[in-house]
Amino acid sequence: MPAMLSTQPHGLPHPHMQTEQGPQQRQFNPYTENGGTILAIAGKDFSVIAGDTRQSEGYSIQTRYAPKVFRLTDRAVLAVNGFAADGNMFVKKVRQRLEWYRHAHAKDMPLRAIARLIQTMLYARRFFPYYVYNILGGIEEDGSGAVYSFDPVGSYEREACRAAGAAQSLVQPFLDNQIYFKNQTPAPGTSHPTHLPLPTVLKLVIDSFTGATERHIEVGDGLEIYVVLAKGASTQALEGIRGIQETTVTNDGERVFIIQRELKKD
Amino acid sequence: MSIMEYNGGSVIAMVGKECVAIASDLRLGNQALGISSNFQKIFPVTDRIYLGLPGLATDVTTLQELFRFRVNMYTIKEEREIQPETFAHLVSSTLYERRFGPYFIEPVIAGLSQTPSGGFKPFIAATDLIGCLNFAKDFVVAGTASSKLFGVAEGLWEPDLEPEDLFETISQTLMNAVDRDAYSGWGCVVHVITKDKIITRTLKGRMD
Repeated sequence: MPAMLSTQPHGLPHPHMQTEQGPQQRQFNPYTENGGTILAIAGKDFSVIAGDTRQSEGYSIQTRYAPKVFRLTDRAVLAVNGFAADGNMFVKKVRQRLEWYRHAHAKDMPLRAIARLIQTMLYARRFFPYYVYNILGGIEEDGSGAVYSFDPVGSYEREACRAAGAAQSLVQPFLDNQIYFKNQTPAPGTSHPTHLPLPTVLKLVIDSFTGATERHIEVGDGLEIYVVLAKGASTQALEGIRGIQETTVTNDGERVFIIQRELKKD
Repeated sequence: MSIMEYNGGSVIAMVGKECVAIASDLRLGNQALGISSNFQKIFPVTDRIYLGLPGLATDVTTLQELFRFRVNMYTIKEEREIQPETFAHLVSSTLYERRFGPYFIEPVIAGLSQTPSGGFKPFIAATDLIGCLNFAKDFVVAGTASSKLFGVAEGLWEPDLEPEDLFETISQTLMNAVDRDAYSGWGCVVHVITKDKIITRTLKGRMD
C-alpha cells in the first residue's frame, strides 16, 4: 500500500515490516476424495455392476450426476471410485488400450486379459498412483459371470461380489450375509446356492444402495446398474423393468443393459 | 491411537413388536491383541432394562458400578423401579457431568417402559461419550463396528418383528458386522426382552 507508506514519518521502520523472514513451506496436494460407492456381483451367466452418481468434495456436492460405471466392451464394465479426475483419466486410458487391441487382433479383449491389463496399468504408476479403487465386471470366455476387484496399485482378485468406496464398510458385510450366506447354516440335507438368480441380485443391489444412502452422506442422488448377460442368457428377468436401456454394440452374443434409479438427494 | 478403539467391542439394540433386543460381541483386546473372549459389555439394570457399554474397558467397569449405585439410590428415594426413559436421562446427565474429561463409553439402552394402561412399550436409546441422547425408533449401534452395524441393520431390519424373528435379525446383523471388524468379535451375546421373559443366548462366532 504505497499511499499508507507515504504517511509514515521518515526514518522510522514500517510497523508491519519484518526484519527477519522465517522458513516457509508450500504444498500442492494432487489428490482429493470424491465420495460415492460402487458394487459388483457375479452370477452364473451374468454380472451386475452398480454405482451411485453423486460426486462430492468434503461436505459439498459438486454434481448429482457423475457416472462412475463405464461400459468398456460388450462383455466388460468398469466401475471406478475414489479421486474422480484420476478415475476418468484411467477409464480413458483403458479404453484407448482396448481400442489398440481391437485394431491389432480384430476382436474385443477377453475379460481376464482386461483384468491383467488394469493391473499393469495401475502398477506402472506405483509411485504416483491413480487414487482409485476399480471393480471390473463382465463375462469370461467360458460364459461365466465374473467380478475382479483392484486396489489403487493393481493388486487384484476374482470374486463373486465386492463393494468399494465411501460406503464399503456399510455394504460389504451385508453382501457377505446375503451373497455368501455367511453366518447362515443351511437346513439339514440342503445347501446354499452358489449363484443367485438375477432378480434377487438386482433387489440386493437396490437395497444395498438405499441402505447406504440412508446412513452415508456421500452416497445418494442416482443409481446406475449395469447388467452384462452372457451369450444366450435369458433376458426374461430384465423384461418390464422400469428405466432399462440396452447399450450393446456388437452382435457377439453378450449384451449390456443399464438400469437407472433415483436415490434420496438429502 | 484412539482411546475409543483401544479395547474394541460393539453393541447394537433393536425394536420389535412388543419386545426389544440388545446384543454385543465378547472381545476384550489391547489394540490388535486379543485378551479375552468372554468380556461382558451388557448389564441388566432392572428386570426390563439392559445397558450396553462399549468403549474403554476400564470405564465399562467404572460406569457399570456407578449406574448400579445411582439406580439403587433412585429406587430407594422414589420407592419404585426406574423407567427406561428416566434411566436414559440418568445416563446422559452422568456422562455430561464429565463433559471436559469424559468416560470413553458410548452407552446403548434397551428396555420396555410401562404405559399408563399397564402395557409395555419398546424403548431403545444411545448416547455419545458426553451423553447426547439419540432416541431411535428402529435400531441403535455403537462401538468399533458401528458403521458396519449401520449398513447391515439398514438392510435386514423391518418393523414389528416377533421376538424370535428379532433375535435372528439382531444376531445376523451383529455377527456379520463384527466379522468385518478386527476389533470386535470372538463370540456374541444376545438378550431379547419381552413383557414376560428375557431370552439370553450366547452365540459362537469366528475366532479369527
